[in-house]
Amino acid sequence: MTQLKPGEVSLGTTIMAVQFNGGVVIGADSRTTTGSYIANRVTDKLTKVHDRIYCCRSGSAADTQAVADVVAYHLELYTAQHGEEPTVKVAASLFQQICYQNKNNLSAGIIVAGWDKVDGTSVYEIPLGGSIHKQNFALGGSGSVYIYGYCDKTFRPNMTKEECVEFVRSSVSLAMTRDGSSGGVIRLAVITEDNVERIFVPGNQLPPQYLG
Amino acid sequence: MTIDTDFEKVFPITERTYIGLAGLATDVKTLHDRLRMRVNLYKHREERVIEPNTFANLVSHMLYEHRFGSYFVQPVIAGLNKNDQPFICSMDTIGCIDLGGNFIVSGTAAENLYGTCESLWEPDLEPEELFETISQALLNAVDRDAMSGWGAVVRIITPSGIITRDLKSRMD
Repeated sequence: MTQLKPGEVSLGTTIMAVQFNGGVVIGADSRTTTGSYIANRVTDKLTKVHDRIYCCRSGSAADTQAVADVVAYHLELYTAQHGEEPTVKVAASLFQQICYQNKNNLSAGIIVAGWDKVDGTSVYEIPLGGSIHKQNFALGGSGSVYIYGYCDKTFRPNMTKEECVEFVRSSVSLAMTRDGSSGGVIRLAVITEDNVERIFVPGNQLPPQYLG
Repeated sequence: MTIDTDFEKVFPITERTYIGLAGLATDVKTLHDRLRMRVNLYKHREERVIEPNTFANLVSHMLYEHRFGSYFVQPVIAGLNKNDQPFICSMDTIGCIDLGGNFIVSGTAAENLYGTCESLWEPDLEPEELFETISQALLNAVDRDAMSGWGAVVRIITPSGIITRDLKSRMD
């Protein structure tokens, strides 16, 4: 596994994905850093790889963009070749193949989430080494370490969509406050069978919390 | 990891001279304590308060004493001398005094601050206008630095007194 090269842009980051009945909510902060300089404070780390399959990217910005592009290409080809939409499992598997086979050259922590007609909603986490973990909710990025306790305490299976959105909003907000590499605005996406709804939370509308 | 969100790093030396210490927190505390002692000794011996210019030389000397094994701090000094003339300077970690010009910057967001100060500063600002200028320069520079933020304190030193204000800023 490589460290980021000097001058390389990092998605410091807090990312998470949470499943609910009928869909999945994914969320991320918006900070990209080069060292300690904030190169982009309004980044979109929620990347579409297929109509109802999104990934959350953390680690090296270049590495994750490149890998996501390759997977998006393969998923488009899959639809043409198989005559049906790929499942989230297939997408996660593709991510995993690339991340594992190139583990010595990549610095990419990815969460894949979405809806398909075979399994319904799924959330898969692919951390640095290229292992794959199917979970009810997944956290990633440097900021995630600050919110494991909060998330373990707050998450319940079978929450409603509104409860999930609030859960992701408050968790990412807490991480953004404590992690230097996370910050800016919160971007959320709610993926259901019918559509993908994008939600934007500006920096001055974060949920209230104790601020020292 | 953010571990302290109200760490004071600007300290009064006399009623009209302040020092800001940016860098390693343990060295900030130690240097502040040592400087306080030296300034108090100066006051006893000289029977007057230390001038900002003299204080700057004192700090510079103390930093150079540790030339090979330095304190990891980059001080900024601001004050009014006995003729009410403003004095500002900064130093590197081993005590090189930079008298600068119209403004002085330091810290992890120093490069950002050069940009904001250069654009916003103009001569002959009144105290309230200067407060606006320095606040905007600081806040906007710090918002582009992952290692800075979580609030700010601005002090304007005038012959009639010190105006201190806490700024509300991004908390990320």
